[in-house]
Amino acid sequence: MVRQETTAPAGEAVRSSQRHIDALKAIIYQCNRCGQCLDFSTLGLAAKCPAYWGGLFESYASRGKFNLARALVDGLIDYDEELARRVYSCTECRACAENCFKFLDTTAIFTAMKQDLAELGLIPENYRRALEGEMGLDVVHNVYQAPHAERLAWLSHEERVDRPARTAFFVGCTSSYVRQNMAIDTAETLELLGVDYTVLSDEWCCGHPYIAAGLLDKARQSLEHTIELYQRLGVERVVFNCPGCLKTFKHDAPRLLGRRLPFEPLHILEEIARLAEEGEIRFRPVSPKIVVTYHDSCTLGRWLGIYEAPRQILRRIPGVSVREMRRNRNLAYCCGAGGLIRFDYPNISTRAGEERLHEAEETGADTLVTSCPACLMQFQQTRNKLRSPMRVVDITQLIWEQIDVPGKPQ
Amino acid sequence: MPSLKEDLTAVCGPERVSDKLVDRICYTRDCGPSPGGIPGYVVRPVSTEEVAGIVRAANRHQTPIFVWGRSTTFIGNGIREGCILMAMDLMRAIERIDLERKLVVVQPGAVWHAVDVELNKLGWELGVPGPGGMFSCSIGGSVAYNAVPHGLAEYGMTGEHVAGLEVVLPNGEILHTGSGANEPAGHPHFERYANGPDLTGLFIGSCGVFGIITKVYFRIRRIPEAEEFAFYGFDSVDRAVDAAQSIQQQEAATHLVGLFGGPKPAGYEQYDAFLHIVVRDSRLRAGERRRIAEAVCEAHGGHPLDSNATRRYWTEHMYSWLRNTPPDYYYGNRPYTCPEVAGFIPTQAVKDAIAYLRQDAVEHAEEFQRYDIRIKCYDVYFSRNGAFIWIDTLYPELDERSWRYGLALRERYTDELMRRYMSPGGILQALAPVVMPKLGAGFELMKALKRTLDPNYILNPGVLLMEPEDTPQVTPEVAW
Repeated sequence: MVRQETTAPAGEAVRSSQRHIDALKAIIYQCNRCGQCLDFSTLGLAAKCPAYWGGLFESYASRGKFNLARALVDGLIDYDEELARRVYSCTECRACAENCFKFLDTTAIFTAMKQDLAELGLIPENYRRALEGEMGLDVVHNVYQAPHAERLAWLSHEERVDRPARTAFFVGCTSSYVRQNMAIDTAETLELLGVDYTVLSDEWCCGHPYIAAGLLDKARQSLEHTIELYQRLGVERVVFNCPGCLKTFKHDAPRLLGRRLPFEPLHILEEIARLAEEGEIRFRPVSPKIVVTYHDSCTLGRWLGIYEAPRQILRRIPGVSVREMRRNRNLAYCCGAGGLIRFDYPNISTRAGEERLHEAEETGADTLVTSCPACLMQFQQTRNKLRSPMRVVDITQLIWEQIDVPGKPQ
Repeated sequence: MPSLKEDLTAVCGPERVSDKLVDRICYTRDCGPSPGGIPGYVVRPVSTEEVAGIVRAANRHQTPIFVWGRSTTFIGNGIREGCILMAMDLMRAIERIDLERKLVVVQPGAVWHAVDVELNKLGWELGVPGPGGMFSCSIGGSVAYNAVPHGLAEYGMTGEHVAGLEVVLPNGEILHTGSGANEPAGHPHFERYANGPDLTGLFIGSCGVFGIITKVYFRIRRIPEAEEFAFYGFDSVDRAVDAAQSIQQQEAATHLVGLFGGPKPAGYEQYDAFLHIVVRDSRLRAGERRRIAEAVCEAHGGHPLDSNATRRYWTEHMYSWLRNTPPDYYYGNRPYTCPEVAGFIPTQAVKDAIAYLRQDAVEHAEEFQRYDIRIKCYDVYFSRNGAFIWIDTLYPELDERSWRYGLALRERYTDELMRRYMSPGGILQALAPVVMPKLGAGFELMKALKRTLDPNYILNPGVLLMEPEDTPQVTPEVAW
């Protein structure tokens, strides 16, 4: 595998293939290997990269993967299953990019490697099966291997389906199939607010699992499908409760499709925070009082920059007091659920979830609030495994329970 | 006899030993431009006993070990093809904060700034604020290389604050230094200069060639009550250096930085040289010392500038603020790297060094342009009685010709400045061939010590040129 004959230390590329990684050589060479991507030293002894701090070699961390990328473009190594194993271990939490000394877009490098690996058929086995298997994403348009026809099984407002409306609710796979309460809470909140919204009967996965796998063409197809349906219904804005889906539309879609979206994508928290700020909505007191700690979803936070909206909402709910974890906002630690690593790296994922839950417990809070279905699922499973007394809720549940609008039953 | 991999696995378990290329290739080089070899094995011990076990295995198999802290140095770590790479990153715990003895006991892989932050929560801090790589460098590595820290003018060097060490020797024995050598008393570390000669010093700055540091007993202090800042521009280097010397003599500054080359601080391009002054002390004394420093600067023709740049540099630990610019000014979006040259010189020699460097840039202007060499800085940390100068030239790493020119420039500057007055601080592998032969009897003594302590040349061979004299030299051309 090593090209021993290579002598050029930093010269011309020794390969002339069409690999995606080769186009990024100038960025790869900007990494000076300082290692700030490895931990949050500004917070003390604090983990940053879940894979690396899970006890694995540097090849699993950002600095290591940049070293691997450099070795690839310099022709010292080539792609193989071992390299794929490192690259796909990333939760895409983006913590490594947060205080990169050179301000590098680390995930762009990882995505390019994933594109190459995907083209070589080197996606890890369980992940590949979830995408391409008999009941995979390609077929049923979700990664939970659930029938597409059951996507709206949670919905009690059938009149909302496929109706022309200015606002759409993009439900997402996790809310649709495995955390349906989040879908219900979000929809009921929209109902209470009197929003005229629509949901798609033929909603497909946003495409995030394809992007995380490096299958960008398939992600484009997914996005195009949904965008076309929304355009037919005259949708002008789309409300999400899943940061991953929102990021796919807001951040990835314009880059992948080469054009602006024909609608405004936003997280429901942004809308609720705005309405609360403008005095349009109030919240009923929580009784008995609760102490919550808020877990910043990596996608909502570091990818989309939404840190304060959830905190503003929590502060406005009477009876709720908020205690911050040591690692919060842009320095928050990943719950371990990102990048769909649970398929093939359950140990990394579990360890990160446990560490983060312990950090939440250390605040003395009785309730862990998050704003992402993947984080919610991860923490609920972790809490059950550890038999923690911590209550785990998504913020959409708190909002729906406590929102105070005319017509809402006591 | 079991294979080396079997021996290493017997010590550390299979999860912490790797012979896979994708793992090994991530441990080849530091932050600088010098290439390194690809290790044969990467092994990650979690205890002193495991370190000792690995060393014994390496001796049995006659395979050298290179120790990896965080590898945040800039002048090459000398890692050789096929070696055992011992990564210390899992030995990262703070074992004890001992306020009675004013010590923190840390494992070598602990990140410098992380330890400092944990101390800060108690109102304490490490004896020195850390070197340039403080956010990522390890304490063990910083001690092994005796890194030059911030606060040099008052606090001195990193090594001065080491009260004792636990070290694994090249034969696998475990050594405690200073007062910690007292075995019957249970190795009570608190005083370095006890129980005979200063064996602690043997392992400070020797880059791991005589032993592997497995525990550091580092001095701590209460966080000073006040910090004061001043920033001055001067019309000439000579006047700034004279001011710096007077500040040294009056012990007015905790940290004193001179800027004598490279881009000038934004907004102050009319000046030729600059001094940043940081004072840390009691509230009463800090103000007094700052006023002394200011009076000295003004007596030497200095012009007071906005010290917010100094404050931001000190509090954010970002060098870019020395030049009154945000961090991306230096570091953003350029595949450039830096063949750093650095060393101690007498304070007054700064005048000659800067004149030489400036003249050299003029004489080689055409070459600098051809190879796209940029001068990032000729900066100085003034110590208590001297100056630590570092010369950062940047070159585009993607251009192989520039890369070669950058390495040659590094050697030329080091050679010339050493012949005049410079003594490098942390002597790293890539410059060892330039530096060590100039050290005369000192070099011979080091070689004799190496032969005695490490007859198999197991620990970091080649670093400090510590290897048999007939060993073929690895040239940068043969590796990535």
